[in-house]
Amino acid sequence: MLHEAPQFLIALEQSALASAIRQSSWAYMTANVGHILALMVFVSAVVVMDARLLGAFAAAPPATVVRPARRWAALGLLLMAATGFMLFTAEATHVASNRVFQIKAGLIVLGILNALLAGRLLREALDQTQAFEPLPTAARLCAVLSLTIWFATAACGRLIAYF
Amino acid sequence: MHKTLALLGFGLAVPTAVLAHHGWGSYDAAHPITVAGPIETLKYENPHALITVKAADKVWTVTLAPTSRMQSRGAPPEFVAVGKMVSAYGYPSTVEKDEMRAERITVDGKTVELR
Repeated sequence: MLHEAPQFLIALEQSALASAIRQSSWAYMTANVGHILALMVFVSAVVVMDARLLGAFAAAPPATVVRPARRWAALGLLLMAATGFMLFTAEATHVASNRVFQIKAGLIVLGILNALLAGRLLREALDQTQAFEPLPTAARLCAVLSLTIWFATAACGRLIAYF
Repeated sequence: MHKTLALLGFGLAVPTAVLAHHGWGSYDAAHPITVAGPIETLKYENPHALITVKAADKVWTVTLAPTSRMQSRGAPPEFVAVGKMVSAYGYPSTVEKDEMRAERITVDGKTVELR
């Protein structure tokens, strides 16, 4: 099946790093556990951030919640990417050809684009909105998109193993 | 970030002919089989150890368990070394031709559960 995969994926899977991850008694397991722990950091920060955008914790000025939560989310995403890369590398050709993984990859791109767009769109509103004041509709839209995309991403992540 | 995005983009463009064998979902648990014969190759690697077994009909790829589980259940690399006679009870893949996932294997009269 290797011959059907793109060259760069074959090279990645056959790299010394990929071999080391597969042959180590702990590397793959550690990456797997790390991926889940990073997910907890990521998703908890995302939920806090999006909940505030949707109007929860109204007593706190939105910027005081959204900005620190966004930094935690970014850290979580970075850790997810690092551990995810380890898991991907070990089985690059197989995983890349998995339909659910492809959907997951697309969702991650969408999620990051949504986050970057929201950062730009909502900068002024975050600076100016006080506690108990409503945020613009765009904030709620970005939050709903964010929650939908990231929960779907997590579901796809778990489903890779079954397709 | 741009590199990550580029890599993810590549992932989307990859052909879909081959599906990952992973988990128990892509195996036909309704039709268990037993594959018996000498072990021809061994990959004692994560996420799953793999052996090929020269059975009477054909050469089967038999997916075993993660190496840490193999170790803790008493199936180190020597247990499934090339040349050993193995009997693997498990389920044929619904995706990959001539591949099965072993529920348990018996080598030298010793049975090891792999699930």
